[in-house]
Amino acid sequence: MNAKFLNPFIEAAFAVLEMEVGTTSIERGGLSLERSACTANDITVLITMVGQVQGIVLFGISEATATAIVTKILNQPFDEFDQLAQSGISELGNVITGQASQRLAEAGYEAKISPPTLIIGKGTLISTLDFERLLVPIKTELGELQIHLALRDRQVGSQVGQTILDEVVV
Amino acid sequence: MRTELFNAFIVAAGKVLGSETDVSVQRGSLELQRDAYVTDDITVLISVVGDIWGIVIISLSFDTAKALISQMLDQEISEFSELAQSGIGELGNVIVGQASTRLAEAGYNTDISVPTLIVGKGSTISTLDIDRLVVPLETKLGTVRINLALRQSQSEQVSRPRQVPSMQVAMPNNAP
Repeated sequence: MNAKFLNPFIEAAFAVLEMEVGTTSIERGGLSLERSACTANDITVLITMVGQVQGIVLFGISEATATAIVTKILNQPFDEFDQLAQSGISELGNVITGQASQRLAEAGYEAKISPPTLIIGKGTLISTLDFERLLVPIKTELGELQIHLALRDRQVGSQVGQTILDEVVV
Repeated sequence: MRTELFNAFIVAAGKVLGSETDVSVQRGSLELQRDAYVTDDITVLISVVGDIWGIVIISLSFDTAKALISQMLDQEISEFSELAQSGIGELGNVIVGQASTRLAEAGYNTDISVPTLIVGKGSTISTLDIDRLVVPLETKLGTVRINLALRQSQSEQVSRPRQVPSMQVAMPNNAP
């Protein structure tokens, strides 16, 4: 995991939450580096990146927060987290990852992103195997969005680990 | 998507499973599913990007995973340890990697992602608007199910979604 991969995601998440969702209060929580499998929140959007930067991006979110976000995006109330809501929250992950990958491409890291996969069910273990995860909590008035970045520089092939926590300035 | 493209995955899965574990593999009957997939004990997810686009979901029970890994490593694995987890992830990686090689021979260029492992029964995994072809591979050690939610890229736009994605929400695909 490399620090230069972090800021594009934070910038993209802020931009998308502000512009597309219309979030008024948004801040980044403390970062942590996780080596063990993550326990899934209610809803997890999984997107992989393949290219100069490779790995897995997870967006963890509670059902209440996800519902609040899709209500804003689609401008309609949701009584349950139905297929349309699922599609909406997956698209949120897709757009954030897409914008981040565009920023990464500008920095010389071209990568393709996979279509989103949605995992629903709390408590399941999600393991990125030997990729350590940087957990980035994004706090908004609608609730928290947890972005997990398990990414590597394909050229270097190694992980910088702890250094990221020292280097990061947003 | 054309049958021979799915075949690349089915053949690769059968061969890899057979050669890695040294047991005979029988293909069960195929099924096309539109509903979300409900996880078995262990699920490996690997994305495919390029001319073919989507996700491969490999599912199996703890018992089958332990039996397969014991056979692969030639040592008795009694719990689903980290070693076993990376073994199962690697098995998925080799299967999808070989399928990708077969696709390249047929003129379809693809890249595959690193594997993600999901442990825990009963969660729902939705591939959204991509249908899944379910291929059961039966061995004496248990059944491994390969779910293929793949499609051919229609255009450059499909294969390069990072070209300024807009906030468009696909309607759910409920068509019978």
